Amino acid sequence: MFKMETMKGHDRMSTQDLLLAIGDAVQNGETEFEIAASGQHDIGGPLWNKDGKPLHFHVTNPGQRVGSMCMPNTEIFVDGSASADVGWLNSGGIITVTGDAGDTAGHCSSGGKIYIGGRGGTRTGSLMKHDPLYEEPELWILKNVGSFSFEFMGGGRAVICGVDSEAFDTVLGERPCVGMVGGVVYVRGEVPALPADIQKLPLEQEDIEFLAGGMETFLEKVRRPELLDALSDWSEWQKLRPLTAAEKKPKPLPDLKSFRLREWVKGGIFSDVAHDDFAVHPTLNTGLYRLRVPSWDNAKYAAPCEFNCPTGIPTQRRYDLIRLGKTDEAIQLELDYTPFPGSVCGSVCPNPCMDACTRGGIDEPIQIGPLGYLSAFAKVEPPKEHTGKKIAVIGGGVAGLSTAWQLARKGHTVTVYDEAAHIGGKLEQVIPRGRLSHELLEAELKRIEGVGVKFVPDCKVDKAKFAELQQECDAVVVATGGTKSRYFNWEGVERLTMGLEYLKAINRGEHPATGKHVVVIGAGNSGMDTCRGAYEMGAETVVAVDVQKPAAFQKEIDYIEGLGGKLVWPFFTTKITAEGVYGNDGRFIPADQVIVSIGEAPELDFLPDDERIKKFRDTWLIPDANQSILPGVFTAGDTIKPGRLTDAIGSGRKAAWAVEQYLAGTDEPFPQKQRIPADRLATAYFERCHHCELCDPVDDHTRCVSCGTCRDCKMCLESCPQKAITRVEKEDGSWEYQSDPNRCIGCGICAGVCPCGVWTIQDNPEPIKMYSTGQKA
Amino acid sequence: MQTVMTQDVGVNDLPWKIDYHPERCTMCGSCVASCSFKAIKVGVQRRDMTVSVENQPKPLKRHEARPVIQQVASLTDYCRGCGICEKVCPNQAIKPVRNPDTRKTLLSKDHGPIKRGGRTNLNAQRALDTIVVGRISQMTDPSLDAARHTFDMRAPFGRVLSAKELPFKVENGRLVQAGHTPPVHWIYPLIFSDMSIGALSTRAWEAVAMAVGYLNEHYHIPVRMSSGEGGMPVKLLESDYLKYFIIQIASGHFGWNRIIKAMPHMVTDPAGILIKIGQGAKPGDGGLLPEAKVAEHVQAIRGVPKATLASPPNHQGLYSIEESVQKMHLSMNAAFGFRVPVAIKCAASATSVSVYNNLLRDPYHICGGFFIDGIQGGTGAANEVSLDHTGHPVVSKIRDCYLAAVKQGRQGQIPLYGGGGIGMTGDAAADAFKMMCLGANGVFCGKFLIQLLGCVGNEQGRCNACNTGKCPMGICSQDPRLVKRLDVDRGAQKIVDYVLTFDTELKKLMAPIGNSSLPIGRSDALVSTDKAVADRLGIQYVC
Repeated sequence: MFKMETMKGHDRMSTQDLLLAIGDAVQNGETEFEIAASGQHDIGGPLWNKDGKPLHFHVTNPGQRVGSMCMPNTEIFVDGSASADVGWLNSGGIITVTGDAGDTAGHCSSGGKIYIGGRGGTRTGSLMKHDPLYEEPELWILKNVGSFSFEFMGGGRAVICGVDSEAFDTVLGERPCVGMVGGVVYVRGEVPALPADIQKLPLEQEDIEFLAGGMETFLEKVRRPELLDALSDWSEWQKLRPLTAAEKKPKPLPDLKSFRLREWVKGGIFSDVAHDDFAVHPTLNTGLYRLRVPSWDNAKYAAPCEFNCPTGIPTQRRYDLIRLGKTDEAIQLELDYTPFPGSVCGSVCPNPCMDACTRGGIDEPIQIGPLGYLSAFAKVEPPKEHTGKKIAVIGGGVAGLSTAWQLARKGHTVTVYDEAAHIGGKLEQVIPRGRLSHELLEAELKRIEGVGVKFVPDCKVDKAKFAELQQECDAVVVATGGTKSRYFNWEGVERLTMGLEYLKAINRGEHPATGKHVVVIGAGNSGMDTCRGAYEMGAETVVAVDVQKPAAFQKEIDYIEGLGGKLVWPFFTTKITAEGVYGNDGRFIPADQVIVSIGEAPELDFLPDDERIKKFRDTWLIPDANQSILPGVFTAGDTIKPGRLTDAIGSGRKAAWAVEQYLAGTDEPFPQKQRIPADRLATAYFERCHHCELCDPVDDHTRCVSCGTCRDCKMCLESCPQKAITRVEKEDGSWEYQSDPNRCIGCGICAGVCPCGVWTIQDNPEPIKMYSTGQKA
Repeated sequence: MQTVMTQDVGVNDLPWKIDYHPERCTMCGSCVASCSFKAIKVGVQRRDMTVSVENQPKPLKRHEARPVIQQVASLTDYCRGCGICEKVCPNQAIKPVRNPDTRKTLLSKDHGPIKRGGRTNLNAQRALDTIVVGRISQMTDPSLDAARHTFDMRAPFGRVLSAKELPFKVENGRLVQAGHTPPVHWIYPLIFSDMSIGALSTRAWEAVAMAVGYLNEHYHIPVRMSSGEGGMPVKLLESDYLKYFIIQIASGHFGWNRIIKAMPHMVTDPAGILIKIGQGAKPGDGGLLPEAKVAEHVQAIRGVPKATLASPPNHQGLYSIEESVQKMHLSMNAAFGFRVPVAIKCAASATSVSVYNNLLRDPYHICGGFFIDGIQGGTGAANEVSLDHTGHPVVSKIRDCYLAAVKQGRQGQIPLYGGGGIGMTGDAAADAFKMMCLGANGVFCGKFLIQLLGCVGNEQGRCNACNTGKCPMGICSQDPRLVKRLDVDRGAQKIVDYVLTFDTELKKLMAPIGNSSLPIGRSDALVSTDKAVADRLGIQYVC
């Protein structure tokens, strides 16, 4: 028997000395210990007898961790209470405390048995474990335990008997079993709220057998055998055990879709105002849900040539016909727009169409003027039916003849009156024959007569005649043009030769008087014509002056300069003398003849004195939008403002349209298209030609971009990633490209690859009825 | 020959440039068909070249034209960097790349101030990112186990009375309540904030709302959602889920007709009322809903025609803090029989503390919360000049208000909620934790919720097109073609999952400092690596 009194008088034995003494004794074979401790820690372990004999400790007043790392074959009996950590890491000892245990009793024990005859402190039983090779640890508590008991418990059995605990809300303290993953806690008494993963269950037979099998021993150990009956009413007991890992696998909660369908507000919270099937769309959709849709807008836009041509000739359509082998139709198409394809388009027109030609941005403009010439001698059939409507056109110039041509071809009876001996206006009277073949002009005039237009030359229309015509005819068109040369009130104006009269005289073959040294005031196209006339009439030097950069076409300027002519600008004429012309800067140009050619003004004194007729600067007519100046009286050409021959032809077309509307009693505006935006065209397809290698104008259909009009190249059809495009041919040989909404995703590749800018890709205009205002409750 | 003028807008003037690899592109059309901004188009490129392949110079002309994807050089239809093209391209042939040389902001002032959505792009730096949880229990005191401990994660929403103000009396030896006390709800410290019907698509709003319903019903996490100022769905008002929703009233008072009309049909009270005075993204400016987004249901709920809706910058009947308390708080309390807490939200401002002090002095005890919204808050539409150049960071303001209350012994009586940039770096839990340590009772957040739905917008100028109605994700759009892109269930799931992780992460931060309840005012737990921030907030500077 090892007996140790750890207090000797006032001297207390240290834990170290005590534990070393106990160790020595065990080494020496001692197995029985009686220790009157005074708070020394760790009494009772880890110790073992080398022969395997059991060790017995009888302890009073121990410190913390009595039975620390206690081994099997060790039994410790504490008479009274113990401090914290009773049986800490107990691996097999039997430890009895008859009184209360401190905090963390049984902490981490994984074997043996711990019997507490009173209460356990906070965190009692925490981290108990069970090594399956050995018996499971047991922790018996007669009364109750403090908060956080059995935290992180992994194995073993704990028994809380609940004796003498009525004053407490629970016998397990607050928040027991947090993190408990194994083992069982048997409880007799109130159990507080448990973590979600701890189950509170009634006892089963196996539990009862365990408790019944151990209870008597426990009560004897803690010297309370009288409680056996009271504690053996198993109906008062419950057991706590954690869910197993398998049980803890969270029950699958409803997924959000099931939640929405089964638990959430029926149909969705917006179901009164948003009609939503909750279907989820990818970013690519066909049909209604495409972001954008294509449209095949053939001929919606004007080609730049067409737009820039005052006459409005759609050259791209002519080339499309030629491309299809329909050359005759192409030639006839031109004649739908102008009676002068040879005289104007193919001869004297500066061809603004070609200035605008898209192809000019690639290499050279399409040769549109020469193309026009192809229609010069083409025959046109007269109209088959006649309307019986009579129309008088006053003025046989290009504007009047354009109007007459259009109206006659519609079957109206058209008569053209002109005071000159020969119909043809400036083409006939003013344009130098060197610039315009007279045979060609006459052929084209004949063709006009051929469609039924009646020419009445040598007929000066005055007020009376006008009134008569108004009376007789269904409509009258005033197209007398500019007939009076304009000039400013320079000093010596009486010396001026009027350019218009001068040129008319030349074309009449009269050889008007011409000086040796001629100055022409005005360097526009008519100025150049005047210069050309002066040279033809024998002038030695010709100088054209202008206040601004000469407006004449370069071709005309080049021609005059080629003859030796000079252009001087800016030159502001102030005085004309017998010697020449003075400028405001003191410059003097010697001349024996000065011809003025700065334009012409109309002479309209034959019109009735009617205040409804409005004029600009008391000279030019200001017609209404439909080119009418009085009911049934229309005007066209230079009576409105000075322009080129092609402007006059276009003006004539518009007047004819207005007359038609008037006769039909309708009010359709003249059809005009928007010029195709350049960025709609894809010109990269066209290989650049060298300007020396241009083809025949007829073959320019290969070079023509066909701006705005389908050239039937099939790039769209072949490029569509969805194979949504088909080409539909109609009976008349025309065609249409169609995009199938059920295949198309709205990518716009068709629009992007279309050389002609025919396909448009735009926001899907089809509304989707998804939202509404809802209904009253 | 192409005519280009020097003053024409070029793609290099735009904030994003399309990086395109024609050699990988098969012209499948996916990118152009998917781009909601019309920022890319199809064109044809000339690939002509004169080469020589012989052993001496011998010109050989090669002509080829091929279709390509091209960026649109436009100040209106420009690339926002959303990256849908990259996402849908099967061949990695296209993607947007940020352009540091952009002149877009400079050039886009022709039609008045630039409008956009998102957050400030200039003041995205955050004090929160210089703060770390630096006081970890290491032997000094017990820390907790985040995974296994139980935590009390609830925050008050409502006016909390001090003990001596509680109307108790003793009757027959028992303590009984002698009068009305202000309602206080204990809610999750993360409030889904203020994204209006109109700003969001019906689907996006519903996805957020569904996540709220689900988190409450199935995880018992009491998150609450504020309606924003565009009204409430009537079906929701009439459902039991209403109890999870805070109804907002802002200066436009939009949507209140239907809310009031629904009152007799309500089966429960809403979680609260939030009076919006201002918002952090555009303080001093009222709400803004561009016409493109005012769809028929928005017109109906708000009671307006199709037009751009600008809310007044302030409540028109309120001229002072006192009046706001007396009139607005009173009316909103009265609307639900003084059963529902009423809180107020202001943009963070140099004057925030004065406002809070005034609210604290409110003798009626009817202000149930003070929401402070910082400069990094998001918005569906604002003038860019407001987004980038007005506002106030929220962190110091929360701190100041909290300390002002502490000085008076009134902390916690009017709960403080901070927002504006919460979750900006992805870790809303860390932001929330730090805000609470500095004195907030909780945080409110919006932007990261829609980011969870799929929004790719960020504060480096990505997307931010919420105002256009062309949201490529169908979140900030009322265009059915775009709205249908959004998967409500998947979006709601993403928010649910985020909040569950937020919950775990918040515990991971609470445990080391030993708090099993929310760490309100635990500024001792924080340290800053920025001396100025540390000094300003009164926390330890560390290096």
